[in-house]
Amino acid sequence: MSHPVALDRPGERVVLMGNEAIARGAIEGGITLAASYPGTPSSEIGNTLARVAKKLGFHFEWSANEKVALEVAYGASMVNQRVICPMKHVGVNVALDILNPITLRGVKGGLVVVSTDDPSQHSSRTEQDNRWMGKLNDVPIIEPSSPQEAKDLTKYALILSEQVKLPVLIRTVTRLSHMRADVELGEIEDLGRKPEFDWEGFSYRVTGFEKLFRRHKERHEKIDAVEAEFEKVPFNTIKNNGEKTGIIGVGFAFTYVKDALEAMDVEDKVAWMKLLTPHPLPKKKVGEFIKGLDTLLIAEEVDPYVELHIKALAKDTNPSLKILGRMDGTLPREGELSHEMIDEKISEILGMPKKPTERAEIEAEKDELLFDRMLTMCAGCPHRSSLYALKKAVKEVKGDLMNVVVNGDIGCYGLAHAPPMAFEDTYFAMGASIGVSQGMQQMGVDTIAWIGDGTFLHAGIPALQNAVHNGANIKIVVADNAAVAMTGFQTNPQMGVTATGDKVDPIMIEDIARASGVKHVEVVDPYDLDAAEAAFKRMLEAEGVAMVISRRVCAMVAVRKMRPERPPVYVVDPEKCIGCKQCLNNYGCPALMWNEDERKASIDTTLCMGCDSCAQVCPVGAIGRRD
Amino acid sequence: MNTFKIVVAGVGGQGTLLASRLLAEAAIKAGLHVKIGETYGMAQRGGPVMGHIQIGGETNNPQIRKGEADVLIGFEPAEAVRRGVTYLKKDGLALINTRKTAPVEVVSGMMPYPDMKKLMAVLEKVTKNIHTFDATGIAEEAGDPITTNIVMLGSIVESGLLPFSEEIVVETMKAGLKPQFIELNMRAFELGKKAYHSL
Repeated sequence: MSHPVALDRPGERVVLMGNEAIARGAIEGGITLAASYPGTPSSEIGNTLARVAKKLGFHFEWSANEKVALEVAYGASMVNQRVICPMKHVGVNVALDILNPITLRGVKGGLVVVSTDDPSQHSSRTEQDNRWMGKLNDVPIIEPSSPQEAKDLTKYALILSEQVKLPVLIRTVTRLSHMRADVELGEIEDLGRKPEFDWEGFSYRVTGFEKLFRRHKERHEKIDAVEAEFEKVPFNTIKNNGEKTGIIGVGFAFTYVKDALEAMDVEDKVAWMKLLTPHPLPKKKVGEFIKGLDTLLIAEEVDPYVELHIKALAKDTNPSLKILGRMDGTLPREGELSHEMIDEKISEILGMPKKPTERAEIEAEKDELLFDRMLTMCAGCPHRSSLYALKKAVKEVKGDLMNVVVNGDIGCYGLAHAPPMAFEDTYFAMGASIGVSQGMQQMGVDTIAWIGDGTFLHAGIPALQNAVHNGANIKIVVADNAAVAMTGFQTNPQMGVTATGDKVDPIMIEDIARASGVKHVEVVDPYDLDAAEAAFKRMLEAEGVAMVISRRVCAMVAVRKMRPERPPVYVVDPEKCIGCKQCLNNYGCPALMWNEDERKASIDTTLCMGCDSCAQVCPVGAIGRRD
Repeated sequence: MNTFKIVVAGVGGQGTLLASRLLAEAAIKAGLHVKIGETYGMAQRGGPVMGHIQIGGETNNPQIRKGEADVLIGFEPAEAVRRGVTYLKKDGLALINTRKTAPVEVVSGMMPYPDMKKLMAVLEKVTKNIHTFDATGIAEEAGDPITTNIVMLGSIVESGLLPFSEEIVVETMKAGLKPQFIELNMRAFELGKKAYHSL
């Protein structure tokens, strides 16, 4: 069955996820290239494009990281192609170095960058608001409020980018990226443009000794032109201008506002505005809207970005306007919005009675009863086996687990901090484990960098070479599960296959490490706990930078590949089990269960991956393969 | 029409998202607008999953307001209570699979799974309209526990509350399945319809 984003049936309504709608918008806008790096909540944009790229005849790639992705996208733009480059919000931090020159030099074919922000950090280590990133570089920002708008405005953004010769940022939030709704499909443009470098006139061409400073002025003129365009766009809508109380909902936050107005039946009693262009702010249109107001509430996701700019605007247009939002504490300064927050503030402003919270007691009673569902690595996860062996090696060589700081990184293996492993002390940003370990080590504090294969290839290589070059005596464990498991199994350069299924030469981490001058490099299978422990010991005792690549394919990939076969089943022999709980307390695979009545361990055979690790952990040989 | 609101609660890997999508596809076939909000941060790692489905009407936000869901589809009893207490409207319909999925803290013996009677007693403060059945057991009887979501789907269809017909649901279900799985899923669907009548 072909994916609905590939359907050439304009007018048909299909259910699309916000991220799929963005992919469809790019397709309707006639992209010929898309480059991305996976990261929640953006990954489905790339997954969707990867799935249909060959069929629709455009190039899709999972790039090495977000900076490379944007460079690839820009290269295609320079030869007059429309392109899209989706990434999660922190990916834009990585891409920023190239985003800046792109805005100064200009684009040729439409270039859209998508930033999926993550208010309340559902699956991120920050909730940074990337509208500041757009502002920083004079990048126009469009914030859709629904999947339909996500599709339509992605296409619009491609066209706008091409007109004004700036990249355009589509900013979504997790709730929009991950929601699904019926979307009406539009026509797919086939531009059929010949890829050509513009030798004559285009601004990115380097010619002699040019005065680069003028580019800043050009960029300002471009962003002013965008502002003039945003004054006219039909999707910034205003209702009931003339009322004294006004509300602005920015992007997805508008949905809370609209629902609240409808639910309270006050849709006609306040002035309201749906604002989808936070940057540049259409100052005339917004100025008209706020001119006659006494009170204005601004709802937006994460930072008071629009609020700040409206405060500046109000100084000239309506200095006595009372502005309520995230800045003055009317709405919280951090975290995502909710119906409850917006309902409460609107009814407060309109002087309506407060809705009672009737279920507080029942909720408390429920919380008393329920568990949290602690996150854990999957049954049979090779990372768990690596950590078990690593802990044993550290105890042996260093005497105590606290004699070494474990700097972790971004991915499933980041769950190493969770009990019962609890063997990870820090994690920050892609590849940072190798860098921060060096600073500690240079000051004499022993470290282990604990990093996954995908993350190493994304941003670990320069840090590794830095360690060798500057003589940082760090130890690196690459938790190599041959998968980008956290974000849904995308490809990386070590896998030997591209996003669209073409076979290519794999780039092996051990080769990179050796070529970077690391003298001690070993590859080990963590399912063999003794062998892994021995390899980790040798690493800890080695001189200089040392690396062990603990390589075993992700259990989820392994079990999928096996289908319809099932892995071998392991069982606990109740005669032999002494109830010591070592398997549960020191290893803690979710397939292991504790039977309180019999005081014995057992194995959930539907979850067991047959990795044999717990059998190696058991001190009395009570766990074995069922024949 | 008023928007019909369903909350789906479960844990990763139970097929909850697929059940939501089937209902959404059916709604579109019936000519209705639909919105699904999904919360699944780290579902693959054993975390809870929740889906909000809004059918018909013109709501804007994909999340259902607290205390406004017409139906709760609970794939797991603890998750059903967790979401039902918060989202189900007073006297709304709760369909609950009684098969427990214990989290790590329970299987490893750190804490017990909460007492079922106590759990249900909390939910009963919100609604007495609770239908419980071993949907996973029923799916096993149909031929594969993977069809638990189809059993749940059968039960909500049988409740007669959905704003579209059983035929549309069946048609949608069949369209999304490989031919060799249609019989299995239809069996699960029929058994789910029967299960609705158990209390």
